[in-house]
Amino acid sequence: MKKKNKIMFFLITILAGFMLAIQFNTTHQENNITDDTSDLWELRQQYLSEKELETYFHQQIRQSEDKIAQYETERHNRNGQVLQDTLNELKKEAGLKEISGPGIILSITPAYEYITPGQSKVYISPDVLRKLINELNMYGAKAISIADQRIISTTTIRNIQGETKVDGYPLRKFPLEIKIIANDHETVKKLYNQMQISTVPDDFFIDNLKVSISEPQEEIIIPAYSSSVSVNHMQTVKEERK
Amino acid sequence: MWLPVLGLVIGITLGLLTDMSVPHEYQNYLSIAVLAALDTLIGGIRAQLQNLFNEKIFVSGFFFNIILAASLAFLGVHLGVDLYLAAVFAFGVRLFQNIAVIRRILLTKWDQKRKNEKES
Repeated sequence: MKKKNKIMFFLITILAGFMLAIQFNTTHQENNITDDTSDLWELRQQYLSEKELETYFHQQIRQSEDKIAQYETERHNRNGQVLQDTLNELKKEAGLKEISGPGIILSITPAYEYITPGQSKVYISPDVLRKLINELNMYGAKAISIADQRIISTTTIRNIQGETKVDGYPLRKFPLEIKIIANDHETVKKLYNQMQISTVPDDFFIDNLKVSISEPQEEIIIPAYSSSVSVNHMQTVKEERK
Repeated sequence: MWLPVLGLVIGITLGLLTDMSVPHEYQNYLSIAVLAALDTLIGGIRAQLQNLFNEKIFVSGFFFNIILAASLAFLGVHLGVDLYLAAVFAFGVRLFQNIAVIRRILLTKWDQKRKNEKES
């Protein structure tokens, strides 16, 4: 064999050996990964140490939370009163507080003289109720309750399996009282007059229901909204950078 | 005869010392390339023993076989057919044949040597 040939052969064999070694390395590494030989006690030990770490973190979290609570109370004591007042106002406006004031009461009763025997249920149409609420709001109602269920902006009036429900509360008992509060006596009077000429009582009459409108009253109490308000489709506005 | 063995040993130690490894996806290609390289090496040894050794054929065969095998494996991966098995088969068969030829050549050489020793 010539010398040049030998050198070439040598180089090629080195290359081949190199490739072989790399291949060996690769397969060997994979074996190492799958070969987890730690037994139950080692795993237990590991678990224990991790658990200790977890308790440590829990302690840290608790301390931080305590601190946050401290800061909260401090802040509250300092200038919380104003905030609290605003919160109360907002709650009142949103219907989360009991409210009282001048207003009128509509009571809806079944017109028994028109109900034929055998007709079992008295049906209150949710559409008509909604129309009534819209009209009341239009004429200056501040707070409305139907059968002591406070009506707020997210209240649903629906027909669920043959029963009309206000926020899930079925309207079964008659007479059904609809309480309306307005800001002042003048608005109440206007409201009263508007109700007198409104077409809503006629709509109720189609369903064999009579609507009687009380004289304006000095003090009516409307309860707070009973369940919690869930806000689904609102987001806080992010402040734009200037 | 000791040169290829020495080269192989040097290559393997180098590879083990560098502690290199190939990503899992390319492992197939490497294995087939290794097979091709081995095949070419054995073929080279056989040619050397039969006095047919040609450096150009050897070197070009080494790289060409590796590239061909790898590209066949690549094609196989993309076609969803295990085409690299074809390369494995071809190289494997040739490997065995070449080794058999080498063995026979060595045996005859050895026999001749013994005869010569006896005669002398």
